[in-house]
Amino acid sequence: MQARRIDVAALEDPVEALFDRGWTDGLPVVPPTEARVLRMLEGTTRSPQDVVAVVPPDLVECTVEKAAINAVMAGCLPEYFPVVLTALEAICTDQFNMHGVLATTMSVGPIFVINGPITERIGMNSGVNVLGHGNRANSTIGRAVQLIVRNLGGGAPGGIDRATLGHMGKQGFCFAEAPSAWTSLAQEEGFTAQQNTVTAFAGEGPRLLFDQQSRSPESLVRMLADGLRSTVSSRMVMGIDAMLVLSPEHLSRFIDAGWDRSRFLTELSELLIIDADDIIVGAHGIDEGIPTGFAGLQLPKFRPGGLLIVHAGGSAGLFSAIIGGWVNGNTGSDPVTKEIQL
Amino acid sequence: MHDINDFERRGIPGVFVASAPFVDAAEIQAKALGLEVARVFTAHPIQDRTDDEMHALAETAFAELVEKITAP
Amino acid sequence: MTQNLNAVMLDPTAETQPEQRPLCDRPSTLQGLTVGLLDISKPRGNVFLDHLETLLSDQGAEVRRYVKPTFAKPAPVDLRHEIATSCHAVIEALAD
Repeated sequence: MQARRIDVAALEDPVEALFDRGWTDGLPVVPPTEARVLRMLEGTTRSPQDVVAVVPPDLVECTVEKAAINAVMAGCLPEYFPVVLTALEAICTDQFNMHGVLATTMSVGPIFVINGPITERIGMNSGVNVLGHGNRANSTIGRAVQLIVRNLGGGAPGGIDRATLGHMGKQGFCFAEAPSAWTSLAQEEGFTAQQNTVTAFAGEGPRLLFDQQSRSPESLVRMLADGLRSTVSSRMVMGIDAMLVLSPEHLSRFIDAGWDRSRFLTELSELLIIDADDIIVGAHGIDEGIPTGFAGLQLPKFRPGGLLIVHAGGSAGLFSAIIGGWVNGNTGSDPVTKEIQL
Repeated sequence: MHDINDFERRGIPGVFVASAPFVDAAEIQAKALGLEVARVFTAHPIQDRTDDEMHALAETAFAELVEKITAP
Repeated sequence: MTQNLNAVMLDPTAETQPEQRPLCDRPSTLQGLTVGLLDISKPRGNVFLDHLETLLSDQGAEVRRYVKPTFAKPAPVDLRHEIATSCHAVIEALAD
């Protein structure tokens, strides 16, 4: 291992020493001793000096070793480490544009959805409280990536990270998709159910979509569309993607009625055609809106492929969740899915 | 030293005054904090000094103290 | 002790910064600025600080005096906050 050694005097608290150096995200981190980092490196077959990615904003080459140090600090177990490395690769792409995600004043941060057998192997949560806290793998994988961006890439809040509000998921937001009768997010991206993948999405905090009364898919899809229309802003169309996290009970409304994923998306998309007259500048007395040149047109809320559907959550509860995105396309961030190399 | 470390974190330049026997302890502490906390040392001992002797110690330390909290 | 296990850590950064953190920015002069004098409550330290107050005032600095309850512990957070919001620089004395 080549990283610089930092001596901490025997009577000094190493956790406090790490805070003082500015190397934490505001929560305590595990002191990255040689023994712990060596153990983390056992989680991958890659050589410690391999470069994993070039990390924004300072465009620093991140070696496997540096990633391992930060993964230790985040609290990862060695078996999570391949997921951390792939998640890091995913955000350090032109497509994901981590520099932009950091620098924007909007609330987004990287969100990771994990698919494949590895989710069970490393004990990830795809069930109760899936978008919340309490599971070590879920809580630490995203955190490790964020610590790398902070400590190695130089992207700390108040510095390059200019979020006006931010959200607590920026501490590290990672969860597993639960298998279902529908194809998974990763399968939609061309991977098989046996491949382990990370999908990175630049997203804000999740918002509940409440519907406890719809018994038919026709009713529920309308309710979901209603909620999705206001993603980030009711006046925004096509420029922002979103992730829809369907809970098991909501999903079963569709599966029980024989709807597959593509039927669902088709029906939903039809319900998400917006009358531009309702959202142009000045419509209904609101100054915010799309240019008046769009008047008279019918516009989709989301661009094709701009709505990512994920199945996760506890088995009881007729709720789903929307995770709004950031600006998509060349000027913003596009979702990236990568296969995990074990 | 912890106080000055905290002031530095808050963006307030600070300097700490101790008597000579604390040189080593301060160095270890600074290393642990990861911050070369500004410090000035006076002659030892302190507690048996007369007022005039204390004033003389302050006179001696003053220029160095100012130097450590300013950057001309 | 667990601390001893943690005595050597590996640097998680790009190592472009020196091992030590930099001190915060210094003003070019103390003239017209407020300097806090923090007495750590050891005997005779107040006499030392009395004279520093005179010398600082002679240089055109405004001086505010503070006393922490005990030299054995860091100053209470309210005191640190008050000093940090009222002063441009601080001198703490006198450990012996």
